[in-house]
Parts: sequence; structure tokens; C-alpha cells
Amino acid sequence: MNNHPIVKFTILVTSNPASKQSNATAYQFCHAALKAGHLISGVFFYLDGVLTASNLVSPATDEINLPSLWAELAYQYDFPLEVCVSASLRRGIINEQEAEQLDLAHFNLKTPFVLSGLGQLAELSANCDRLMQF
Amino acid sequence: MEKKIGIVNRQPPHGSSDAREALDLSLALSAFNESLSLFYIGDGVYQLLAKHKTDDILQKDFQPMLQMLELYDVEQIYVCQTSLELRNISIDQLVIKPILLSIEAISSHLALQDQLLSF
Repeated sequence: MNNHPIVKFTILVTSNPASKQSNATAYQFCHAALKAGHLISGVFFYLDGVLTASNLVSPATDEINLPSLWAELAYQYDFPLEVCVSASLRRGIINEQEAEQLDLAHFNLKTPFVLSGLGQLAELSANCDRLMQF
Repeated sequence: MEKKIGIVNRQPPHGSSDAREALDLSLALSAFNESLSLFYIGDGVYQLLAKHKTDDILQKDFQPMLQMLELYDVEQIYVCQTSLELRNISIDQLVIKPILLSIEAISSHLALQDQLLSF
């Protein structure tokens, strides 16, 4: 069906999901690329982009829920959603293990997002044809 | 061959965390990539201007971390000469000794990169 060469993308999302359109655009880009037969090596969330990984995001019913859309897409096409751990901790995005270590009452990392280091971005950057930042 | 990664800094040092977190990212990537270039353009040049008094504004002084770039062998640090001139900043006032480039030279160096991350 598609005769174009397949491109392997790494996506860097640095934008806040609640206040910047570019986070939604990143999602739309991934969706369109995957539907066209391209590959996503992984999506790395950094800066305010890490707020996408909160399972407490609760928009009004007539608004989209970007964290849920990202999670669905990642499940459907089986690519990782990596979230920078240091950027996350300072913004209150916490997984179970960090909550235990830091003696916090709660954790809020949404599955299948995973906390990882910036080294993971280096790996994703090396392992792609194109890196796109949103 | 290793990809050439360029990190473009265009924001002032404080007011948003872009500068500090871009520097965190640069230092981290330098451990994995030896072809890293940093660009300071526009208000980004203020990140390098010495004598920040960050305690007064409850921000973290990340300038000591700029010294780590040399330790991590990040040598391709480019600053837009025009951006400095427009802000009346001389190279002696900067906390590190970068390479000054004209706007045209910045453009051609940016074009050499395989990947650009912009903050």
C-alpha cells in the first residue's frame, strides 16, 4: 500500500500537556506517522512534558485527555513512553518506587509511562532516523 | 557514525527552567555523545553572563555547572556574536570562553547537525 521508505522516529516532548498545543500535535504526529507505516522508537518526555505522565490529569468531559491518548497509542503500537526522572520528581510525577524511597504518601505515574534517565534519550536519539521535538 | 547533536539555547537563564534543564540535558548527553555542540543565541547569551545573583530570586545558580562542560570535553560551544553586541556584552564578561560566530556561521553550523534540540 505504502511505497515510501519507512522512517524510524524518536519524539521529544518538552511541552506542557495542559497549556501548549504542541503536546497534542506530537500525539497527532505519532498517530499519523504510525498509520502511514512509520515506526516510533520511543517518546521521551522532558521539561513540562513530563506532566503528561500523571494519572491524576482530569479534564472536563468535553476536553481530550492527552495522557490517556498517549497511553492508548503506546499500547496499540507497542512503543515506550519514557519520562525523565529528575524533571518528574521536581514536578511531582512520582512512581511507586520513588514514593517509597522518598517516604511520600502517594504516587501518580500513569501506566505505561516509565521514569528513566537522560541516558535513555541518548539511546533513543542514537537509535532513530529522525528526532522530532514538540 | 555518531550523530551530531546540537543543543540550541535561546532563553534567558531564569524566568523559565529551560536554560537549567537544557544544561542538565547537555551534560548528560555528553557522556554518550562526543559530537555535541551547544549554541547560545538571542537572550540565551545571558545564560553565560557572569555574576548572577540567583538567591535573590529563589532560583538555582547553575553557572558552576557550565564549568563542567570543559571537564566533560564539550568543546564546541558557539555564541552568536551579534546577540552579544546587541546586548552590549563582551566575551570577557562570560563565565566560559566560547567560540564566537557570525549569524551566517551559526546558520551553517546548525545545518551541519543531524539532530537539533531547542530550548
